[in-house]
Amino acid sequence: MRDYYLAILNGSLLTVAVSLASLAVATLIGLLGAAAKLSGRRPLVWLATSYTTVVRGIPELLMMLLIFYGGAIGLNNLLEAFGYEEGVDLDPFIAGVLTIGFIYGAYMTETFRGAILAIPKGQMEAAWAFGMGRAQTFVRITLPQMVRYALPSFTNNWLVLIKATALVSLIGLHDMTYLAKQSSAAVREPFAFFLFTAALYLVYTSLSLWALRRLSERYSLGADKVQLL
Amino acid sequence: MHRNSPVKLQVDDIHKRYGANEVLKGVSLTAHAGDVISIIGSSGSGKSTLLRCINLLERPQQGRILVAGEELALRPGPGGALEAADHRQLQRLRTRLAMVFQHFNLWAHMTVLHNITEVPVHVLGLPRDEAVERARKYLRLVGLEGREDTYPNHMSGGQQQRVAIARALAVEPEVMLFDEPTSALDPELVGEVLRVMQVLAQEGRTMLVVTHEMGFAREVSNHVIFLHQGLIEEQGDPRAIMANPRSERLARFLSGNLK
Amino acid sequence: MNWSVIFEPDTLALYGQGLVVTLQLTLYSLGLGAVLALACALALVSPRAWLRWPAQTFTYFMRGTPLLIQVYLIYYGVAQLEWVQARWDAVWPWTQFKEPFFCTLLSFSLNTAAYTAETLAGSIRETHKGEVEAARAMGMGHGMLMRRIVLPSAIRRMLPAYGNEVVMMLHSSSLASTVPALLDLTGAASRVYADFFLPFEAYLFAAAIYLCITFALIGASKLLERRFLGYLAPRKH
Repeated sequence: MRDYYLAILNGSLLTVAVSLASLAVATLIGLLGAAAKLSGRRPLVWLATSYTTVVRGIPELLMMLLIFYGGAIGLNNLLEAFGYEEGVDLDPFIAGVLTIGFIYGAYMTETFRGAILAIPKGQMEAAWAFGMGRAQTFVRITLPQMVRYALPSFTNNWLVLIKATALVSLIGLHDMTYLAKQSSAAVREPFAFFLFTAALYLVYTSLSLWALRRLSERYSLGADKVQLL
Repeated sequence: MHRNSPVKLQVDDIHKRYGANEVLKGVSLTAHAGDVISIIGSSGSGKSTLLRCINLLERPQQGRILVAGEELALRPGPGGALEAADHRQLQRLRTRLAMVFQHFNLWAHMTVLHNITEVPVHVLGLPRDEAVERARKYLRLVGLEGREDTYPNHMSGGQQQRVAIARALAVEPEVMLFDEPTSALDPELVGEVLRVMQVLAQEGRTMLVVTHEMGFAREVSNHVIFLHQGLIEEQGDPRAIMANPRSERLARFLSGNLK
Repeated sequence: MNWSVIFEPDTLALYGQGLVVTLQLTLYSLGLGAVLALACALALVSPRAWLRWPAQTFTYFMRGTPLLIQVYLIYYGVAQLEWVQARWDAVWPWTQFKEPFFCTLLSFSLNTAAYTAETLAGSIRETHKGEVEAARAMGMGHGMLMRRIVLPSAIRRMLPAYGNEVVMMLHSSSLASTVPALLDLTGAASRVYADFFLPFEAYLFAAAIYLCITFALIGASKLLERRFLGYLAPRKH
């Protein structure tokens, strides 16, 4: 029995790995997407808007299945066209990370876009009026302030992302959900195993919430919690 | 006006339109060194727009801007408005024109000291210690010595505006632009800011001030421009035109602003 | 791509079946969840600790764990308890636990109830103190205060967030495809993929349907917001 619990605990490491990797992908896509949406250039805006609309309009599980099963066959067709006969198996870890990163990139785009828009325009105007260039203003004025406004929404996205990683168990990744299900099928004690897994998720989400709250407090040093202007 | 001192700022025939609404219909002004010019007028007369066109925060449809003899190169841009032809020149000229905003616009995530040293260090390329020395000197001038590690949000409006003035002084500009500097302040705090501006005027700095404070306009400035619906209706020596306005609109405006 | 297979009547019928189950699950769980959420929200804002703590524990658990685990817990977990097994042939409601639809519905409802309860509780707490004071000053009792002043205001202010929750529920319903013997829209797509080896076409078709429903829901939400939240919009004249 104990071996099964240990296996699930081991699987939690994979869960953490998947979630952190996906977060990195999602944050990168989010920054690019927000920049695109705010750029004012129509093709970029159109592309970013289509992306966020479609991705947020279909279930995550469906997108994961589409990318994993569709992607594998698509990739193989592509390779065949180039003469590579053997066919390649899409690593479930990569498929999972790319899917979750791709999906939450859409939510992060909205997060960063909203945060940048929330910065009072006067902050940037003062920078321009004193002769700061666009890039300098973005790095020294916009980004630091954006972090403060983005933190609540970013935290939210992160917490949802952690829970979404459970879906990778459905494409065969041996994360803790997958192992819990396997264990309960083997030993017929589903309640115990799933409750244990649930507890592990709770620990993960609670720790994250605590850490991000500390971060948010540190970044709020320059401003009051309640924005009156 | 000090006609013998060098021309620090010259603005010719500025036109600014928002859609179908023409806000500035051809405004020109000249500022010599040491001039303190007050720009007055009712809301919608275009005063703030004029000031913001000078440092190109707003883009005029037409006009010329010369800072200390150097003309800002402009070319037609999107939407029919003019834009800077040479961005580096624009940035350089902007550092010669410091602006003090109605809502202070101090950078919220930086301390008072960093707000003041930011542009000298990161735009003008001054070494850090020199910038800090300058910052402390101007903080003393505005009466906020010792407050350098405070964050803007922990200060009153009057204090924040004085920090903003120190920030503008720290770049040692040719001309200082004040966009309604006291309009957003509680009445008790207006005085401390006006006192600082008076000190600056007495030092001989060149200042362009958009304001509602008629007392300041009359006592401290040496030239007043009255804007009405995008045109200069009347201008001249403050005491003269404010005691005996030639235009009826100015008379009506002044009677509604008994100060 | 081979779309002709998708548009055959049998395949379309399969998608149709799946769509019906998806809509049923979404609507019923939202309905049941809303009722539970109201009770839970009132408990969350209650000054009585014995009401507050169970509610807080409930929402903490439901919001801190994945929906998939919650589905597994109820479908596999509860069904395993001997206590339940002893009763589920004769005693209602335990008979229902043999039905996959019921188990899935229950987990979805509890999940949306927890999220909606927290949103509603937050909305209640944000009620303008002045409005409450005015009502009390005029002699309103607690029950009437909640019914006529606080709740109508709180529910309206919650509309944008709830609109989001409705869309989330639609998307979460796709997890029903992990429960054997349940065929929702995603499950139908998986079946078509298994039968014809056309993953792109099968899943893209389902995606298009979800997208249409999502747009309809967002449009409806905006309409409702305009009607019920118009008083919060900026002045137009």
